[in-house]
Amino acid sequence: MDAGIYVESLFKRYPKGSEVLHGVDLRIPKGAFFTLLGPNGAGKTTLIQILTAVMDADSGTFSVAGFDPRLHFQEVQRRMGVASQSNEVDLSETPAHLLTFQGRLFGMSAADAAARAVELLTAFHLDGEKDKKAGTLSGGNLRRLHCALALVHRPEILFLDEPTVGMDPMARDTFWNVITRLNREKGVTVFLTTQYLEEADKHASEMALMLAGKIVYAGAIAGFKKWVNPADNLSLDESYLEYVKREMVV
Amino acid sequence: MNNACLLLIQRAVFKLMKQPAAPLMGFGMSLFFLLVYNAGIGGIGFMEAFGSGGYLSFVFPIAMVSLAMGSSAGAGQTLNADMQSGYFRRLYRSPLPRWALVVAPMLADTLSTLFFTALLLGIAAACGVIFQYGVWSVLGLLLLSFLWSITLCGFSAGVMLRTGQSQSASIVTNAVFPLLFLSTTFLPREMITTQWLLTVSWGNPVTYLLEGSRYLLAGTSSARFFYVALVLFAASAVVSIAFALGSTRKMRM
Repeated sequence: MDAGIYVESLFKRYPKGSEVLHGVDLRIPKGAFFTLLGPNGAGKTTLIQILTAVMDADSGTFSVAGFDPRLHFQEVQRRMGVASQSNEVDLSETPAHLLTFQGRLFGMSAADAAARAVELLTAFHLDGEKDKKAGTLSGGNLRRLHCALALVHRPEILFLDEPTVGMDPMARDTFWNVITRLNREKGVTVFLTTQYLEEADKHASEMALMLAGKIVYAGAIAGFKKWVNPADNLSLDESYLEYVKREMVV
Repeated sequence: MNNACLLLIQRAVFKLMKQPAAPLMGFGMSLFFLLVYNAGIGGIGFMEAFGSGGYLSFVFPIAMVSLAMGSSAGAGQTLNADMQSGYFRRLYRSPLPRWALVVAPMLADTLSTLFFTALLLGIAAACGVIFQYGVWSVLGLLLLSFLWSITLCGFSAGVMLRTGQSQSASIVTNAVFPLLFLSTTFLPREMITTQWLLTVSWGNPVTYLLEGSRYLLAGTSSARFFYVALVLFAASAVVSIAFALGSTRKMRM
């Protein structure tokens, strides 16, 4: 297996709850732009939390960038960046401070971390907000800062869990420009979950569809469209809806 | 300890300096106790049981004990603020040893307690409190304060991590509070006439902290109490740190 993301027979049950993941299998090659789709509650965020070592799995094998996060926690953290569904920002600090501090935590010198912070503030159009407390930023700017923080240490693999929620169209455009450039030019592997399927359709090439904790399709997005409806040339959004509605009726 | 760990400790110290309410309240409360108890009961300080230091020297340890109690919730509160904002999850996903995330706010709290204890000792010295062994007394008192503070901070941080609720930061302080009054807080053992209180005080670890401190101050207690307090609170500090570290695996993110 190359140093992408590898998951085999992953099971997870919440205490006193139902089984969230029922034997998930996934192989995402290094450098892929992958999207995991599924309705709310399908288990997407749980899978990301397990892969990013925030949550334990009940059983199964998995690796991120060639390492098992449970055994090589620090090695994996150095190689991956995570922009989770909810913001992870210290609201009492400024964007410039937070980005610099994040760089320092990942071992950058003070000068390198400050330079990287400026780079990201510019890339995410946050220059004008850099010295304001994060708590005073608009929802969209806070979200951009949250995503920028995931990129500070130049990760090889990016986990983006519904990253553009709350961003206006301009901010989304800026965000996707940064992410697609990282994927194409730097070979960064992207693992995206989103409910904005037009974004997934536009940027990703590989996908998996998760329903009730099971992967029901994994492969190319173009292949999924043909698999759902070989006759019509449907968008990902239409294909997804058609498939999910069909499954839910059953 | 690597550079990133030091950065975390530095961050925790700056957080405390920016929001000093907990340690300042702790300091204010302990100073208040010292002044009020001395003003209210200090008249009996001429009695032989209080030694040459009078009542102020006798009651001073309670000010030290309450100082650490007042500020020990700080570590839990720092953790809680980070958990509420989601920032703790980001720190958790950085390549730091997990223990550093918990130990950093605990250390910051303990440093703050030591700072205010030193200030309190200065005020006490200016007011005439006796330090029987000079600098050694001061160092001994700071050591006891350090161990007591670590004990409280560790349990406070651990409870916070396990429950994930802001109110829980002060659970430890509230749980320990009654122990202050079930001890030789205001009077020496020989002047306590109620048998049950005497019995309870012997099993109360705070008694050893108070009496150990009194040995270093005016010498109204024996060295045995100081050594027992050292062993007892070194052990409790270790248990408390282990509890806090163990809680990182059970924390609710």
